[in-house]
Amino acid sequence: MIEPFEFKQCVSIIKSTGKKAKNLKELVEGISVVSDESIFHHTYQYFLKGHFLEYSNDFAQWVGESLEERALSEKLSNIDPFAFNDISILRKELINVIEDYLKEFPEPREAMPNDEFYFNETITFIYSAGVKVKNLAEFLIAIKYIEPSSIYYHFYEARVRLGGRMDDFSRWFEEALKKEELARKIRAIDPFMHSIEGIREHISKAVEEEVSKDMWEIIKL
Amino acid sequence: MISQYSGIVPKGDLIILQRLGEKLKGRSFLHINSTRAGGGVAEILHRMIPILNEIGIDARWEVIEGDERFFDITKKIHNSLQGNYENITKDMWEYHYEVNKRNAERLNLDADAVLIHDPQPAPLIEFRKSGRWIWRCHIDLSNPVKEVCDYLRGYCEKYDAAVFSVARFARAMGIDEFIIPPSIDPLSEKNRELTDEEISETLHKFHIPEDRPIILQVSRFDRFKDPIGVIKAYRSVKRYNDCILILAGSPATDDPEGEVVLKEVQDYASDDPDIFILLLPPFSDKDINALQRAATVVLQKSLKEGFGLTVSEAMWKGKPVIGGATGGIPLQIIHGVTGFLVQSVEGAAFRIRQLLNNPKMARTMGERGKDYVRNNFLITRQIRDYLCLWYAMENRGWSILEL
Repeated sequence: MIEPFEFKQCVSIIKSTGKKAKNLKELVEGISVVSDESIFHHTYQYFLKGHFLEYSNDFAQWVGESLEERALSEKLSNIDPFAFNDISILRKELINVIEDYLKEFPEPREAMPNDEFYFNETITFIYSAGVKVKNLAEFLIAIKYIEPSSIYYHFYEARVRLGGRMDDFSRWFEEALKKEELARKIRAIDPFMHSIEGIREHISKAVEEEVSKDMWEIIKL
Repeated sequence: MISQYSGIVPKGDLIILQRLGEKLKGRSFLHINSTRAGGGVAEILHRMIPILNEIGIDARWEVIEGDERFFDITKKIHNSLQGNYENITKDMWEYHYEVNKRNAERLNLDADAVLIHDPQPAPLIEFRKSGRWIWRCHIDLSNPVKEVCDYLRGYCEKYDAAVFSVARFARAMGIDEFIIPPSIDPLSEKNRELTDEEISETLHKFHIPEDRPIILQVSRFDRFKDPIGVIKAYRSVKRYNDCILILAGSPATDDPEGEVVLKEVQDYASDDPDIFILLLPPFSDKDINALQRAATVVLQKSLKEGFGLTVSEAMWKGKPVIGGATGGIPLQIIHGVTGFLVQSVEGAAFRIRQLLNNPKMARTMGERGKDYVRNNFLITRQIRDYLCLWYAMENRGWSILEL
């Protein structure tokens, strides 16, 4: 009996930490002391926002847009939060990158008043989307209509829960449906290079191809 | 009532509202503000209370009563918190407290969760009976007059939590502070779908021709909304693109400067027959809706802004919006995705030309904007956030909660 896939989704409410930064030194100080939840929110949860592809986390966006330190912004954007198993290591990496930059450019500009970086954190609520699927054809219909926060939960947030490059979709394809090749295709989707809608399209396309392939095999039999 | 939102708001919001309704079933949720009619808070509460009751929560809405002196004082407090200096004397603060005390005797303050909106009823915390008390600040607190903010803080610190619309409005008060943006109601007169006839009716009423693209800004006649800058941008655009400019706003009867600014704007517009300066009476929601739907490009070129919900209103109608990068506008406009953020008259003119000359880009941006509002700035999201906040306070210490 195949274990069904239950779509879940999540929403978050934002909590202010009361900390802010107006320049890079204060940003480093803030990153050093804020909670893991705050680092998580400004990096992993960036993908929940309707971001554009120039940046990959809030720190990079603020450094690029508000401080106009383009080179540092590129370096921060290149940090892959999913490459770290622990937020403390991600935190260290962020600090190292900014401190290295400060050694080269010790007097960067300050943000305009009211354009400071505000450190927030979130409380996340997870709940069932009310959709359970038992096979790839049902999955295909669901993935086309499920809400963006469900894709975020299973494709991005899962990497923190499951570690490494694993997401809930590919894990179900591999473990429940024994579809190793499809799982590999899903894991090959670069999480940084697409919006959530882009991720939805890539997954739909890969699953659609797999469903067609299965149908041809049935017809051939 | 909640079923009316089905197919309009994200399905997930309706699911989680039901789920939170089950978790908080039968528990009481009291909202208190200072007016039953007029203003965004009352508008949202009128819709929110029935929805909360429908999902099983015992929701009530009470309004504090006060005389002219009280509201004169609270207006001064409000202005000071937004950065305009007003002298609030010890006597005035005492009267503010006294009126709240009288209200506390009159109102039933017993509830499991109490949400106090804005500074007028803030002293009610002194008379708390039970439950979790949350202070909801709808005001731009980014540059308040310090003495006034400090005095009010004495009340705020006694609450269990505070809620602000934008992160930079939050103050470090030693209590939990949450960021919950305001929202629009897609079913209200200002935002509901209109027929083509209804839109034309409004345009005819104001003698606005329908043969050219319309650039629109809806706002009070206030220098912070930069109406002169909008006219300058329009004139720069007009050299290459024939278009019409509409500046629509209500006359600010309580703001003596409003008349001065309006006169400046009228003088600056001179006798240009393609500039329409519309003074709309209060409750012109349907006309505003029609103007937004008739527009090709919508501007909110503010130099200073609270949240600027007119941006979401226009985006909800599928319009590309060009907004000043201030207040809550950058939360609504993702630059280059759901609209454009600008810092200058020249920037506004350039983006208007870009959108007028690229109808496909304007359409795509408008569609993305509408989706963004659907997911982030509709009333169901705001109700959801309030309930999530209450539930989180009942489960303190957890950053992830499974419902």
